Amino acid sequence: MEKTVLKLDNVSKSFAKIETDDVTHALSSVTTTMESGEFISMVGPSGCGKSTILRLVAGLIQPTTGSITLNGKPIEGPGPDRGMMFQKATLFPWLTVYDNIAFSLKMQGKLKGNEDRVEEMIKTIGLQDFREDYPGQLSGGMAQRVALVRSLINEPPVLLLDEPLGALDAFTRMNMQDEILRIWQKKQQLAIMVTHDVDEAIYMGTRVLVMDSHPGRIVSDLKIEQPYPRDRSSQEFVEYRNEILKQLHFAGTKEK
Amino acid sequence: MSHQNPQQGQTAAEQTPLDKLTRRQLQELEQKKMTPFQKFLEAVIMVLPLVCGLVSVLEYILIPDNSTNRHPQTYLVFLILLICAYFLCLVYAGIRMAQKQKTFYEKLRYRAPLCSALFLLLAYYDYLTLKTGILTQPFVPCLNFVINAFWQDRMMILDCTLHTLKLLFLGYFAGVSLGLVTGITCGYSPRCRYWIDPIIKFLGPIPTSTWIPIMMVVATSLFGGAVFIIALGSWFAVTVASMTGISNVDKDYLEAARTLGANSRQLVFRVAIPHAMPNIFSGLTQAMSSSCTAIMIAEMLGVKSGLGWYMNWSKSWASYDSMFAALFVICIIFTVVTKSLEAVKRRVLRWQIGVKA
Repeated sequence: MEKTVLKLDNVSKSFAKIETDDVTHALSSVTTTMESGEFISMVGPSGCGKSTILRLVAGLIQPTTGSITLNGKPIEGPGPDRGMMFQKATLFPWLTVYDNIAFSLKMQGKLKGNEDRVEEMIKTIGLQDFREDYPGQLSGGMAQRVALVRSLINEPPVLLLDEPLGALDAFTRMNMQDEILRIWQKKQQLAIMVTHDVDEAIYMGTRVLVMDSHPGRIVSDLKIEQPYPRDRSSQEFVEYRNEILKQLHFAGTKEK
Repeated sequence: MSHQNPQQGQTAAEQTPLDKLTRRQLQELEQKKMTPFQKFLEAVIMVLPLVCGLVSVLEYILIPDNSTNRHPQTYLVFLILLICAYFLCLVYAGIRMAQKQKTFYEKLRYRAPLCSALFLLLAYYDYLTLKTGILTQPFVPCLNFVINAFWQDRMMILDCTLHTLKLLFLGYFAGVSLGLVTGITCGYSPRCRYWIDPIIKFLGPIPTSTWIPIMMVVATSLFGGAVFIIALGSWFAVTVASMTGISNVDKDYLEAARTLGANSRQLVFRVAIPHAMPNIFSGLTQAMSSSCTAIMIAEMLGVKSGLGWYMNWSKSWASYDSMFAALFVICIIFTVVTKSLEAVKRRVLRWQIGVKA
């Protein structure tokens, strides 16, 4: 795959508050560069603008100032080259598992001749027995798996994960972490994930961006130099965790 | 364990290994065993409709009539047909049971008490009307009169039914298709809503029947006028429902669809409309009931054909039995129409109940 470079140059984003004349500064002068092969975890308190960054990259919203470019081209709107997975699975409840996964191909008129790709995706997540089921019949973990491969069907060079595992129970969550890592390692896309969970950020990311709020900004950019699969109880892991917790002002106190 | 060595007298459920149980077998297995008394009661409930049917037949034959009853055999044939129908269902249920298919039996068991009640009600009604005249003849005619009237006037009633259906469907579908177009465009485009909303706000509170006198003055043909009135009512119901449905589309679905590469046209047709389907269907159902009301009023007041007109016309000839016959036909066609709509809705919205296709 061609190398992808995503550049955020001095990006700020403000939102008008509803009903008052105030403006919230969600992001303030964020500058960073990300490349394919990287798995970027973003952690930080709520309101630090980490989801805003994802939504900007997805093209769902436009920056107030600054520019975001993907391989030199500015991002003007959502596109199939950036797959996005949300905290809610947002599977279309009126479509079967198969049709949900095939949705993107169908929208681009590319489903014909690519049915085997859909089948392959279903096989990747092991839901062959559920291909004709509706999302209402799936468990939370299954639904998130379907959402994951639905956003991967185009083989997007950029994968955006907006707290994808936040709503799952601890065990399903750890399984899904490995599953996402496996897919990412195979394709070596640029993956950007927002999470509230420091362990998850360290376990999965090659880089952890620690963010802070008021205004939202990146306070540190930490490379995690440890081979996969990582050991959650290893000395280095604990050190990374302490370092990040310190950045987030939680060191020495109980984790929230 | 009884699962390893099947003994005689075990049901199929008990002989199946636990990991191969079907849902039905599981229910069977977990159900409490019925005591002999419960089994007896069960059998009585299943046979009771036949007994009640017999009661209604005996009531009809044995008690002397209070007024002259022409063609007395019609009602008898009707009763016997009903009893036979139940009997056939019972036999069929028995056959299915022998093949270990309990579904039909359970459905019949569920309805058996109602069937019994129906036969008793028929007997009681006959007693009140024909036998004692507590309900005065011919104003509240006994069923035998009604069935006879229906049979004598069947061509006329059929003709009227077709007229009613034609009017109903023309008006309903005209209104519904227009309503879908306006509802969906207004739901999606605020600019359209800006212009259409005042019209809806103005026309909405006016009950459909209000238009009938105006139509009788203005319309060149009463049929066209009636179509317009029915269409107006269903247009209103469908517009409001689909507008609400479309404008309340979950923003998350739209965003997900956009990141998956859907263009704005596809956002409407592939996301917003399917998402609004439950709303749209509730609008369709409401439109149907408003159409049914409107059509009867239109036929009773102005249109010179159809079942509503027939009822009024029979009344003016004092043939109350035909009037009641038409009432039953109206009941049947509106039930069929509503049930068919319901069936379409269940098919389209099957994702909602989470049942496999």
